[in-house]
Amino acid sequence: MSAKTARWIFYLGTAISLVLFLGLTADTHRQIATLTHADQLSDRVVAGKRVWHKYNCNDCHTILGFGSYYGPDMTKVYWRRDGDGIKAVLRDPERHTTWRKMPRLPVTDQELDQLVGFLEWTSAIDTQDWPPQDQKFRAAAGRSVALGVSPGAALFREKGCFACHRLQGTGGTLGPELTGVGSRLSEETIRQIVTNPTAVKPDATMPVPPLSDAERGELAKFLASVK
Amino acid sequence: MALAYPTQRVAYPYFILALLLFVLQVAVGIWLALSYAVTMPQWLVDVLPFSTTRAMHTNLLVLWLLLGFMGSTYYMLPEETERDLFSPALAYVQLALLAATGVTALGGFVFGWTKGKPLLEIPFPLDYCIVVGALIFLFNVGMTMLRAQRRTVIQGSLLGGLVFLAGMYLFNLPFYANLSIDWYYWWWVIHLWVEGAWELVAAALTAWILIKITGVPRETVERWLYVELGLFLFTGIAGTGHHYYWLGAPKYWLWVGGVFSALEPVPVVLMLVDAWHYVRNRRAQLNGRLVFVFAMGMAVLHLVGAGFWGFMHTLPQVNYYTHGSQVTVAHGHIAFFGAYVLVNLMFFYYAMPKLRGMAAHDERRGTVAFWWMSLSMAAMTLAFSVAGVLQTYIERVMGLGYMTAQGQMQFWFAVLVVLGLSLLGGVVLLVLDLLTLRPVPTGTKPA
Repeated sequence: MSAKTARWIFYLGTAISLVLFLGLTADTHRQIATLTHADQLSDRVVAGKRVWHKYNCNDCHTILGFGSYYGPDMTKVYWRRDGDGIKAVLRDPERHTTWRKMPRLPVTDQELDQLVGFLEWTSAIDTQDWPPQDQKFRAAAGRSVALGVSPGAALFREKGCFACHRLQGTGGTLGPELTGVGSRLSEETIRQIVTNPTAVKPDATMPVPPLSDAERGELAKFLASVK
Repeated sequence: MALAYPTQRVAYPYFILALLLFVLQVAVGIWLALSYAVTMPQWLVDVLPFSTTRAMHTNLLVLWLLLGFMGSTYYMLPEETERDLFSPALAYVQLALLAATGVTALGGFVFGWTKGKPLLEIPFPLDYCIVVGALIFLFNVGMTMLRAQRRTVIQGSLLGGLVFLAGMYLFNLPFYANLSIDWYYWWWVIHLWVEGAWELVAAALTAWILIKITGVPRETVERWLYVELGLFLFTGIAGTGHHYYWLGAPKYWLWVGGVFSALEPVPVVLMLVDAWHYVRNRRAQLNGRLVFVFAMGMAVLHLVGAGFWGFMHTLPQVNYYTHGSQVTVAHGHIAFFGAYVLVNLMFFYYAMPKLRGMAAHDERRGTVAFWWMSLSMAAMTLAFSVAGVLQTYIERVMGLGYMTAQGQMQFWFAVLVVLGLSLLGGVVLLVLDLLTLRPVPTGTKPA
C-alpha cells in the first residue's frame, strides 16, 4: 500500500463517519422533543433534575441505564413506586432498604416534590421498551390474570420478595422462610406485616413494601393460601 | 546515559504523580467491591456513601491517565521535533494547576461538592480550571511543534488527538434541561474520548515507541498509523450510536450503532498484527525486553477488552438485556486496562530509566508486576462477567427484581475483593519498581 492510499483511507474514513454522525445528530435534535415529551419539561421537572445532580444520585443508580450500578435503575421507577413511594424511600431509606444501604440525604419536602416530578417525566421517555424488567413489571398485572396466575403471586415475584424470603425452595435466606406461612399466620396478620412490618414485630428489619392498599390485600390473600 | 534534550525532564513529576494516583485508584476500587459484597452500616453509608467513593475511583482513573499522557507527550515531543520544549516552566505550572484542581475535587466529593454527572463530577469552577490547564498544555505543545519546523504524522496524530480531547470536554460544561440530550452529549465527551481522541494520542505514543525500540522504518509505521487511525475514527465516531439505543433517540441508532460498532474490533486487530510484525522484524538492539512485553500486552488486552468484551454486548439484541449491568463493568475494566493503562505503563518503562540516567535496569520485578497485574485484571473481568450474566438473567430475563439478582451476585463481589487486593499488590510492586529502578545485577548480561 502506498503512503497516498493510506492517507486517503484516513481522510475518507473519518469524513464519511463524521458526516453521517453529524447529520443524524441534527435529525435526532429534530425528533427528540417528541420522543421525550419536551413540552412537559416544566420548571418543576428541571428543578428536580438539579436535585438529582445535587445529591449525586447517579453515582449509585443508573438512569436510562447510565451511571453506577449499586442501586436499581431509576428510568421507570415512577411505574414501580409512584410519587409517594419514592418520597417514602428518601425520607427514611433505612426502613425501605434491606442489606444494601442508601444514605439518609438532607432533602427538603420541596426538593422531594421536584425530584418526583423529574422521575415522572423521565418514566415517559420513549426508550424503545427498555428496561426489560420494568416492561415486564408494567405488563404483569393484566398478563398474570390472563395466564391464571393470582395477582398476589405476581406481586410477590415482581416486588422482589424473593430477594430475602424463600418460598417452595426458591429465594433468599435473609428473611423468614414463607413456605407454609398460611398455616402459621392469619391473612389479617400478614396484611398488617406487609403494611408496616415493625407494627407487628418491633425488631423486624424488613422494609415497608412499596404497595397500594389493594395490592396489600392481594399479597396477603396469596400468602395466606400458602399452607 | 543523558537525556537527548534537557527539557524532557518535565515528564518525571507527571509520571510520579500519575503512579501514586494509580495506587490510590485501585485501593478505592477494593472499597467499592467490598461495598457490594457486605452490608455497610447505615452510619457509614450516611458519612461516606458509595456514590462518593465511586466518583473518586473514576476521577482518579481519568486524572492519572491524562497526567500520564501529558508527561509522555512532554517526553516524546523534543525528540520527535528535534528541539527543546517551548516552555518547561509552563509545563510545571500546568502540572501544579491540574494537581491542585484534582486534589480539591477529590476532597470536595467527600463534602458532597459535585456536579452529579457520572465520570464528570468535577463541579464549577474547577471544571474551568481543567480547561485552563488543557489550554496551557495545548499552547506549549503547539508552540513547540510550530517552532520546530519538522512535521511528522506522529506529531499530527498527537496534536489532533489532544485538540479533539480538549474540545470534547467543552460539551460537559453547559447544563442540559432535557435528560436525554444531557446523556447524548455526555457520550460526546466519554465515548469520543476513549474511542476517538485518546486512541489518537495512544496510537501516536505507541507508534513512536515502536519506532524507537524496533528500528522499523518510520515510513512503514506512519503508513499503517494512517490506516489504523482512519479505521478507528470511521468505526468510532458513528459507533457512538451504540450508546443511543435506549435514551430516547430515534430508532435508526440501533442500526447505525450496531453496524459501526460491530466493525470496531477491526483496527484493534490490525494494531495487534502490526505490533507483532514490527517486533518480529526488529532491527534495533535494545538493552532489555520489558517495553516489548508491555507493548504486546497492551495490543492483546486492548483487543480482548475493547474488542471482544465490547463486541459481546454492543449488538442491540444483546444490549437490550445487558445495558447498565455488571457486563458493562467487566468491559470497562479490561478495556481501560488494556487500551490505556498499559500504554501509559509501557511509556513509563521506556522513559523512566532514561530520566534516571540509566542505560539498562534490572527488569525482573517489572516483569513479575506486569504478569501479576494483567492476570489479576483478567480474573476480575471474568468475575464481573459472571456477576453480569447473573444480573442480566435474574433481573432482566426472569424479572425477579433487582435485589434478588444482587443477592446471587454477592459471592462474586467477595471474590472481586480478593482479586482487587491481588491487583493492588501487583500495582504497588510496579510503582515501587519504577520509583527505585535497580541496575542490572553484575554477572548477568542484558537480555
